[in-house]
Amino acid sequence: MSLREVVVVGGSIAALTAVETLRMEDFDGRITVLSDEELPPYTRVPLSKGVLAGRESADDVVLAPLADEVDLHLRTPATGLDLEAQTVLTPDGPVRYDGLVIATGARARRIGTPGQSERVLRSYEDGLRLRDDLRRVSSVLVVGGGFLGMEIASTARELGRDVTVVDLAPPLDRLLGTTVGRHVRAVAERAGVHIVLAHGGVRLLGEPTPTAVETPDGHRLEADLVISAVGDLPNAEWLAGSGVPLSGGIVVDERCRVSPYVVAAGDVTVMATDDGALARTPSWTNAVEQARAAVRSLLHGDDAPEYRPSRYFWTEQFGLDVKMVGPLDPQGQPAVLDGSLDAGSALLAWPDAATPRQVVAVNHHTPPAKLKRMLTGARRTQLPA
Amino acid sequence: MQVHADRDKCEGHGLCADVAPEVFELDDDAVVVVLHEQVPSALERKAEAGARVCPVAALRVST
Ligand SMILES: Cc1cc2nc3c(=O)[nH]c(=O)nc-3n(C[C@H](O)[C@H](O)[C@H](O)COP(=O)(O)OP(=O)(O)OC[C@H]3O[C@@H](n4cnc5c(N)ncnc54)[C@H](O)[C@@H]3O)c2cc1C
Ligand code: SF4
Repeated sequence: MSLREVVVVGGSIAALTAVETLRMEDFDGRITVLSDEELPPYTRVPLSKGVLAGRESADDVVLAPLADEVDLHLRTPATGLDLEAQTVLTPDGPVRYDGLVIATGARARRIGTPGQSERVLRSYEDGLRLRDDLRRVSSVLVVGGGFLGMEIASTARELGRDVTVVDLAPPLDRLLGTTVGRHVRAVAERAGVHIVLAHGGVRLLGEPTPTAVETPDGHRLEADLVISAVGDLPNAEWLAGSGVPLSGGIVVDERCRVSPYVVAAGDVTVMATDDGALARTPSWTNAVEQARAAVRSLLHGDDAPEYRPSRYFWTEQFGLDVKMVGPLDPQGQPAVLDGSLDAGSALLAWPDAATPRQVVAVNHHTPPAKLKRMLTGARRTQLPA
Repeated sequence: MQVHADRDKCEGHGLCADVAPEVFELDDDAVVVVLHEQVPSALERKAEAGARVCPVAALRVST
């Protein structure tokens, strides 16, 4: 069947990339985008940095506008899906599709009670609110030491606030591995950040605005502003009962397909990993690459290439620019390919220099494309002749 | 069509060059370089697509 009407649900990078890929593939039917956002597609990446610091505004984060012929509906949430009738339900009425791309992403996970006005950072509005909060306070407590929590801590410290990060495990270890994790923490602590380990989940105290957390052993940490950066949850509830397979996100196959004429991409998806377990990969690069793969399989079916994740991650904090390729959380001691962490700039590889599974660049100007080639080059030479 | 790159904003992630290697390149410091002052019409869609995947919105397209 040739597709005449493609509907894209979502208003961020996966949705935008889906639209761009349709156009690059010379799709000449109608493209409709349904987004529940107020703003046209923007990037979340600067929210924890320039926007939080007050250096960047909407103009700086909005991505180049969509082509004129794309029909973008803002403030239009999809509320349901009828696979048989091939329609998406919205408050403005049903929207029919020949092909559907689901890219509804994720939202911030919350740990507070309904009565608490918990501060999180996911949307541009969240960013503006936190920016204003930060101007008024002298101390900040960040719950969660992943990329997001540590980036918020970095910006708050840059603004001169007293900053504490509390987490269950040493921040960043499960992302960057212990060698780089320890290094970034040391730099953060030297910048004045207090890192506190809680053995178990913390509870937010204070209503409506939390101003403290309590650890399971009864320890209390207080701050003028408490920010939760405790992960994200896929926006898949609107698909409950639709027949779309859900398991901690929308389950997609190796070509990002969900069911006939339906594909999905980005933070909302789960995909089988090498060991068969379903996992989400909530990152910018993954959203872009899945959206590309999803549209190609919508248009070309089995002839489309399988999704091959480049597994490129990065973070910027405390003056460190960390770029990583390969599966998260490299284990053991790396081989040093160039520089050294102590000297401030390093290129590291795991498990060894000849056949790296992961490469991490810390303040090192190797372009990501080259980092990626280091992995694929190694993979190729490993193949039997 | 022209593409303007804000080289101060660029963080060298190279996603633009992945999409449109004919239009974007990274220099030795891993900062983006736009290869055409005037983007040839055959490359316009690619240039736009490359500009839109930049995670720090460092690329602007104008016609
Ligand atoms: C502060 C911050 C910093 C980040 N920094 C980095 C970074 O440095 N590197 C990195 O790789 N990643 C980073 N990320 C993660 C990255 O932004 C996400 O992985 C990416 O945005 C995922 O894109 P997406 O399009 O899949 O989902 P989302 O960006 O979550 O977009 C989903 C879209 O769908 C809309 N939507 C949801 N439900 C509906 C519905 N029912 N109907 C219609 N529309 C709906 C939403 O409003 C939104 O527009 C960061 C995230 C945050 C919050
Ligand atoms: S995608 Fe953006 S940040 Fe990355 S190289 Fe291109 S311009 Fe620079």
